[in-house]
Amino acid sequence: MMAETTNTIDVTINKDVLVIGCGTQGLEAAEAVAAKGYKVVLVDDADLPAPAANAIEVMANTKVESLAGLAGDFRTCLANGSGRSERTFGAVVVAPRYGLAPLNEAYGLALNDKVVTMTQMEALLDDGAFKETLVQGEGKSIAFLSGFGQEGDPAATSRVLEAALTVQQAGNSRAYVYANNVKVGARGLERLFTQGRNEGVVCFKPLEKPAIEQGDTLKIVINDPVVREDVELEPDYIVVEEAVVAGPENLAFAEILRIDTDLDGFIPSNNVHRFPANSNREGIFVASQPADAANVALRVAELLDNGVRTVAKNAAVVDENKCTICLTCYRCCPHGAIFWENGIAAISPVACQGCGICASECPMDAIQIGDFTDEALTADIQEAVASVSGTPSIVAFCCQNSALEAGEAAKAFDAELPQGFRMVQVPCAGKVDVEFIMKAFVEGADGVMVAACHEGNCKAERGNTFAKWRVEEIQKRLETIGLSKDRLIFTTIASNMAEEFSMKVRMFAEQL
Amino acid sequence: MNSQSGKVMVVGGGIAGLTAAWELARQNVSVELVEKSCFLGGHSIGYTCKATDTCQQCGACNVEKMLKNVVGEPLINVRLRTEVSSLDRSKGFKVSLKKSSDDMAEGLILKGFSRHNSPLHVKGKGVTDEAPEGALGIEEMGSEGEIDVDAVILATGFTPFDAELKGTYGYGKWENVITGLEFENIVRENAGIVRPSDGKRPEKVAFIQCVGSRDERLGNLWCSEVCCPYAMRMAGTIKHDNPDAEVSIFYIDVQNTGKEFPVYYEKIRENVRFVRTIPVDIYPIENDSLKLRHMAEDEGSPSFEEFDMVVLSVGIMPGADSKTVSETFDTPLTVDGFLDDSVDSGVFVAGTAAGPGTIAGSMAGAGKIAFDAVKYLGGAK
Ligand code: SF4
Ligand code: SF4
Ligand code: SF4
Ligand code: SF4
Repeated sequence: MMAETTNTIDVTINKDVLVIGCGTQGLEAAEAVAAKGYKVVLVDDADLPAPAANAIEVMANTKVESLAGLAGDFRTCLANGSGRSERTFGAVVVAPRYGLAPLNEAYGLALNDKVVTMTQMEALLDDGAFKETLVQGEGKSIAFLSGFGQEGDPAATSRVLEAALTVQQAGNSRAYVYANNVKVGARGLERLFTQGRNEGVVCFKPLEKPAIEQGDTLKIVINDPVVREDVELEPDYIVVEEAVVAGPENLAFAEILRIDTDLDGFIPSNNVHRFPANSNREGIFVASQPADAANVALRVAELLDNGVRTVAKNAAVVDENKCTICLTCYRCCPHGAIFWENGIAAISPVACQGCGICASECPMDAIQIGDFTDEALTADIQEAVASVSGTPSIVAFCCQNSALEAGEAAKAFDAELPQGFRMVQVPCAGKVDVEFIMKAFVEGADGVMVAACHEGNCKAERGNTFAKWRVEEIQKRLETIGLSKDRLIFTTIASNMAEEFSMKVRMFAEQL
Repeated sequence: MNSQSGKVMVVGGGIAGLTAAWELARQNVSVELVEKSCFLGGHSIGYTCKATDTCQQCGACNVEKMLKNVVGEPLINVRLRTEVSSLDRSKGFKVSLKKSSDDMAEGLILKGFSRHNSPLHVKGKGVTDEAPEGALGIEEMGSEGEIDVDAVILATGFTPFDAELKGTYGYGKWENVITGLEFENIVRENAGIVRPSDGKRPEKVAFIQCVGSRDERLGNLWCSEVCCPYAMRMAGTIKHDNPDAEVSIFYIDVQNTGKEFPVYYEKIRENVRFVRTIPVDIYPIENDSLKLRHMAEDEGSPSFEEFDMVVLSVGIMPGADSKTVSETFDTPLTVDGFLDDSVDSGVFVAGTAAGPGTIAGSMAGAGKIAFDAVKYLGGAK
């Protein structure tokens, strides 16, 4: 491997940046990217406030209809009242806005002028006339519901605590908070919570959701776990919490941009390799948290630089004589790096992450990966088996993002490893072809191990899944040819787990 | 665009310092990374993977990855076992460095987790035994002298709460009462869940939350943010390792782990018992096990329960040296004693030095600080 010096080429890329969505994060991201010296186009399908930086071109009421191309050369179609325009961008930033959904139904409540959402209460508290009623006479009693409709979060808790404190401080009024888990896990919230309690905000933490009657008057009944008896309250207002939901445009963006979402429909997927602002596609970044704008700008600057990128010529190359345009590679590339050119599949050296999944899945063996060509890997396997001095001989295909790191650390710290153990580096477990595993057996390995990242931790999102399928497939094959399927195992491991790696290898050796 | 030049000193080589240094280097800024201990990685390099069948997104492996990035980066000059003794701000930043005197590891051979970080092994003072090949003597390590930099990022980290201050839990007295951080290290080092006294797999484990945090009596009016996530993830790891194990988490309020929390929380509650109360005290019983006394909310009278091991979810406290750092760099402290990150003066604060935060949060925050520092360099010229 790495036998030949890698050839590089300079690719000229587009330096403009498209920012989609102009909520707080979108605006900040647009400004941070512009501050790095790039031209920014900010679009939103609603009206837009004008951003401060003048390097930003604003397109209000505009939809991103489609996106083709790849990092450095995204071609989009932007549509608005005055028609459609085709624009090209080097990078795209998505800053989806979130929706708030009142959770009154979770409590069996209908919204009216006494049962209001958190947003409505915040507006009321900003309104002088309403605030006046809090001061006059006996004031009002206001009950806040928090965390029984859905597990809350610090942002929601912070809104409740702020509002409750405002009510309490208004004069004659009283604030009651019915909380499940008080989400104080953010800067300053425990202090705010304590201040509220010290100023008289009453906080109940019943173990069950409060029972609420909504008639002419409102009535909340809970069983208080501290005094262990029922506590009733007839508040003037009930404020229901709101869930933060991924708006429908979240999924639409994900589909148009071909990026993964998490279980709740939020962009990006729940994978630590995306920290803090990446998506699974090179050149598409996500701004959803306060620190994201700066991180997005850093990533954009790293990618676009001064408009020229030096990339490996042979990162992943399609053999035009072999490709039959079956679309397999296009579908399985986790980074959306494959496109069509002159009637065959082509791979963008800017967007490709070199995982090799496409190469292993291509039915025509038409794709070769830079430092991990079939030839190079075959040589590595031969060498691994040949260099073994003890038995059993074990060849472990190790993903360079996880298992290889763990294995190298195990060696460096003298963790116990069987004598006949050898590692073969692969860019991702998804690059472990059926042929490679068979080759290792043919060369005389007693056992073969495919070591990948844990599910949900694969940098290529699904490389570990592909590897697992292939291992299961071969295990069946081994049995039909009369070999024990236990000679082949699939395992997952994190890069920081040297001892665990050594233990897994030793257990495998014993079993052999 | 990436034409920025200049030099920034990053103080502290934990995840925040590593990330800040790496991001600066990505922007063509050279970095002096000063770390007072003999190794990079800070607390978090010792954390264990908590994956069950699936990754639990704890971020521990990101630290390993970042460490590898930093050590391979020519624009970052790493100075281990080095501290800043003084700072002269009359012209840019003139920094005086000294060898850190903290801990001479008398008679010990230290081992760093950082495979890519040389040295791997360090011989403490007075070690004559044969040390592994390539081991460095601690006295040879460390930098002295003066360097000039254009900005400073303080990433001096946190100090875990000293569990001995909660005397009734018997930490330091009973072997199987350990802190969450120690548990992380134990699992990583042993590749499995074992308890300290006999190396056996515990069948009944309790986690006690908020040890040292959210404690008005101690004056610690903050939530440490990381201890609910790590306790729940470790509880999940224990159940994965041994489905018959019984795990209880004693808590005040459960904080979120991150994305997809509602689904995660529902699942973990199927396997782990959550008890809303903070236990009163812990006594040793036979077999090195422990008896824990608590007032379960729904019972009203004290209950006693036995456990093989108790994990104290200690929180994030201001760095032990935050006062000194604050004086040296003329950076104010917050009411809670962390470094105040709101002052814009060419001295920036990243990571848990400024207050509690997760690995993910520290990384994102450090990226932001690197961005701000580069902006500052641009403006200063
Ligand atoms: S998988 Fe192979 S044959 Fe199919 S389109 Fe891709 S390169 Fe061509
Ligand atoms: S190597 Fe991986 S990232 Fe590159 S084109 Fe193939 S599947 Fe996509
Ligand atoms: S160390 Fe944490 S983030 Fe990494 S694979 Fe393990 S559980 Fe996932
Ligand atoms: S994260 Fe959980 S255990 Fe830690 S201080 Fe906050 S509430 Fe307590």
